[in-house]
Amino acid sequence: MKKIKEDLFALLFILPSLTAFCFFMFWPLIRTVYLSFFDWNMIKPVKKFVGLQNYITLLQDDVTYKVLGNTILYILILLVVNFVLPYIVSFLLSFVIRKGKSFYKTAFFLPSVISLVVGSILYVWILNPVTGPVAMILRFFDMQLPIWSKSEGLVIWILSLITSWKVFGYNFIIVLGGVMGVSQEVIEAAKLDHIPNYKIFMQIVLPMSSSTGVYVLITTIVQGLQYVFTPIKVVTQGGPNYASSNLIYQSYHEAFTLYKTGEASAFSVMTMALFILLLVLEFKFVEKGVYYEN
Amino acid sequence: MKKIVFDQVCKSYEKKQVVKDLNMKIKAGERLILLGPSGCGKSTTLRMIAGLEDITSGDLYMGGRRVNDVESGNRNVSMVFQNYALYPHMTVRQNIEYALKVNKYPEKEIVERINEAVRMLDLVGLEDRKPRELSGGQRQRVALARAIVKRADYFLLDEPLSNLDAQLRAHARKELVRIHEQYHQTMIYVTHDQTEAMTVGQKIALMDKGKLQAFDTPKNIYHKPANVFTAKFIGSPPMNVIEATYDDEKLFIDGKKMRVPSAWRKVIRKQGKVYFGIRPEDVRLRKKENAKEYSLKAVIRYVEDYGDKYGVYFQINSTEMLAVCEGEVPMPGESVYFEPNFDKVHFFDGESTENLGYPKEE
Amino acid sequence: MKINVKQMIAHIFLGVLTIVLLFPIIFAIANSFKTLEEATNHIWRFIPLNPTIKNYIHVFETLPFGRITWNTFLIAFTVTIFKSLTSIIAAYAFVFFDFKGKRLLYFTLISTMFIPFTVTMIPNYITVSALGLNDSIWGVALPQLADALGIFLLRQSMRTIPKSFIEVAKIEKVGHLRILSDILVPLVKPAIISTGIIFFINSWNEYVWPVLILKSKENYTLSLALQMFISAEGGTDFTVAMAVSVITMIVPLVLYLIFQRYIINTFALSGIKG
Repeated sequence: MKKIKEDLFALLFILPSLTAFCFFMFWPLIRTVYLSFFDWNMIKPVKKFVGLQNYITLLQDDVTYKVLGNTILYILILLVVNFVLPYIVSFLLSFVIRKGKSFYKTAFFLPSVISLVVGSILYVWILNPVTGPVAMILRFFDMQLPIWSKSEGLVIWILSLITSWKVFGYNFIIVLGGVMGVSQEVIEAAKLDHIPNYKIFMQIVLPMSSSTGVYVLITTIVQGLQYVFTPIKVVTQGGPNYASSNLIYQSYHEAFTLYKTGEASAFSVMTMALFILLLVLEFKFVEKGVYYEN
Repeated sequence: MKKIVFDQVCKSYEKKQVVKDLNMKIKAGERLILLGPSGCGKSTTLRMIAGLEDITSGDLYMGGRRVNDVESGNRNVSMVFQNYALYPHMTVRQNIEYALKVNKYPEKEIVERINEAVRMLDLVGLEDRKPRELSGGQRQRVALARAIVKRADYFLLDEPLSNLDAQLRAHARKELVRIHEQYHQTMIYVTHDQTEAMTVGQKIALMDKGKLQAFDTPKNIYHKPANVFTAKFIGSPPMNVIEATYDDEKLFIDGKKMRVPSAWRKVIRKQGKVYFGIRPEDVRLRKKENAKEYSLKAVIRYVEDYGDKYGVYFQINSTEMLAVCEGEVPMPGESVYFEPNFDKVHFFDGESTENLGYPKEE
Repeated sequence: MKINVKQMIAHIFLGVLTIVLLFPIIFAIANSFKTLEEATNHIWRFIPLNPTIKNYIHVFETLPFGRITWNTFLIAFTVTIFKSLTSIIAAYAFVFFDFKGKRLLYFTLISTMFIPFTVTMIPNYITVSALGLNDSIWGVALPQLADALGIFLLRQSMRTIPKSFIEVAKIEKVGHLRILSDILVPLVKPAIISTGIIFFINSWNEYVWPVLILKSKENYTLSLALQMFISAEGGTDFTVAMAVSVITMIVPLVLYLIFQRYIINTFALSGIKG
């Protein structure tokens, strides 16, 4: 009786969130899978069942592979800037410098609160190949800023950097939180043994904060790819010739530019499958080598 | 009718059983101490009374009513937590009056009760402070005040003094007894500290590994421990309890034999393995052999100075024991004769470890 | 002396990083107060010689900007209130209740953080259209009434509250809603404020979903309006674009600068898993 009453309260408190998630997360998820087996354009009254045809079409399309390749490049760049760099900066903040820590924290997080549309528009101007300030500096050194929005390869770098401008501070704060969370006694004990700082960081702090590391790694990939969507959408619309599109943008493009609902759904499902694969890998990690404080 | 009855109560988490088949009757208005090492189930037992833990099986009665399914708020209990659980964002007064206000007591009554509690616990002048501005002892008293303004029938305390330093603790013990004598609630007090148990308790329930080991008055628990665990747990330094063999009116300790007085022979009766217990302060070590048959030769290993007394570690062959002595100090390496005071020894069954009893007084 | 050299190098590195990260913001503010001519000829000048608010006036003349700002605010406010309420009570249940399947339910809810929006956008678009909320700001807010990150962050913070605080109240017959409002909410206020600010800022900055739902200019949010000033080549209204950027980012920036300590501390906890 008493137990049941408590359980009911718990359910009551979770219910609003659960309902919202069911209507706008879980149910759509199932529906997207369902739609991926149909030929439809979101307007026609009849959906035509086509089985796996949407998947086959996508897997036979060269664009799919190009987009997949782009996605991997995006992931790699995002990881270097938003995973490796935050660790380096956290090391400097926690082990090397003594003054200015809170200033750097405030400054680095600042761009994270700004819209990526703003970020995109600002960088489009800053990196304008003719009139932008960067182009001017390069001209001073007799160099030229290429028309990056039209250059395959380079465009991915620039869009990744725009995204990183926002993501870096957020990741940095989380990584720093993890690094600072490592018990000071452990570190002091190591210092007494004359172990150099970088070794303490690599061999003690990193393993002890590895749960944070896994979390940041996964969010960088999963959220990062979604964040990149905005600069792609506002700056290049996936161009030139799909050179800047990624999995996320491509499903959007199929759905709301080409109105191929079925193929767009199939694309999303494949994206989701990729993310699930990453999550499974994470949980494998988590169960095994990751060190948790409690 | 404020008594509490545990009838075959068990508590388990998933597969781990933390309280096993607990049967216990706590009298109305009694001060009961739940004592035991950490993880023995004493806090869980208290929390079951409070209604904060579900009972896995068995029945719990409070005031004659089965309360297994009664919510905490309807059990008429008040509780003091180890960390005091004072709300940091409320002042002393707000902390004390919060529950009364939520439960819509008349304003006049609230004021009266608070004034009484504040006076009684010496908190006058601190009413508008926040908990972080108080000392440890003051916080503890605020927690007490909050618990007593409710005037509940059952007064539960979970290691309420463990965050205080030794001096304050002695004072707080007296205060607790005073409060209880004023309100006469049924008081259940959890502690791992035997001094607290002995000084505060009218009854002690000693638990180990989820089982009730002893349930008696402090005096009996000390002088007639129910089993080996109780014997070793109560008393500081702990009682020497050594394995021995009883055979043919003699006690064999590590290969050496000693006669047992006739009064004890009727008690022990059964031949074979027994546990022989003697408190360090009841051990006599003699330099010269006195009564040969009732003593054993031993060697001094190590001597600790307690100031007024000495702790003397000695060995009979390889069995080590402790004696607390006054006066002349033996030196390590010296040979002595171990002579137990047979009026103050204890014998326990070799299998069940239960106390075998005591000779009838003549 | 060796240590000082190390520190100096570190500071130089961190300083350069700071400049790289903050430059766009300063760049936008500076140029939004220049005339187009000054901006074109002196793009590196950070304090305009002839400061002007003409760009801002222009923005408000060409677009219903008051309306657009109000839309953005209204969506962000609604979303923040709902997400905060649903997250607070859900986190409370996950921390202070024990029930069967709690872990499973928690991880199911939290895993929604990892669902890419493309997976849900088509069905949600259909749902919102079916409800007649296409081209309505309520259609933007509707799918955002709960938030996994919010539940996660508030749970992290509530876990630091001793269970005995809740238990002592239960014993005193204080109901759950009173416990929440009188005890828990005051104690985790910093976390509630910072998650609230984050909900607000994220909604304020949101782009993907509004771009699908909102069609007419008077229903636009700031991000959508901003988009009209952008193209890969940059377009011509450089200084006006900077003014719109400043308008869009000023609210999140001010909120952040006021509450930065709370926000940073809350996020710092989020990676320490439990």
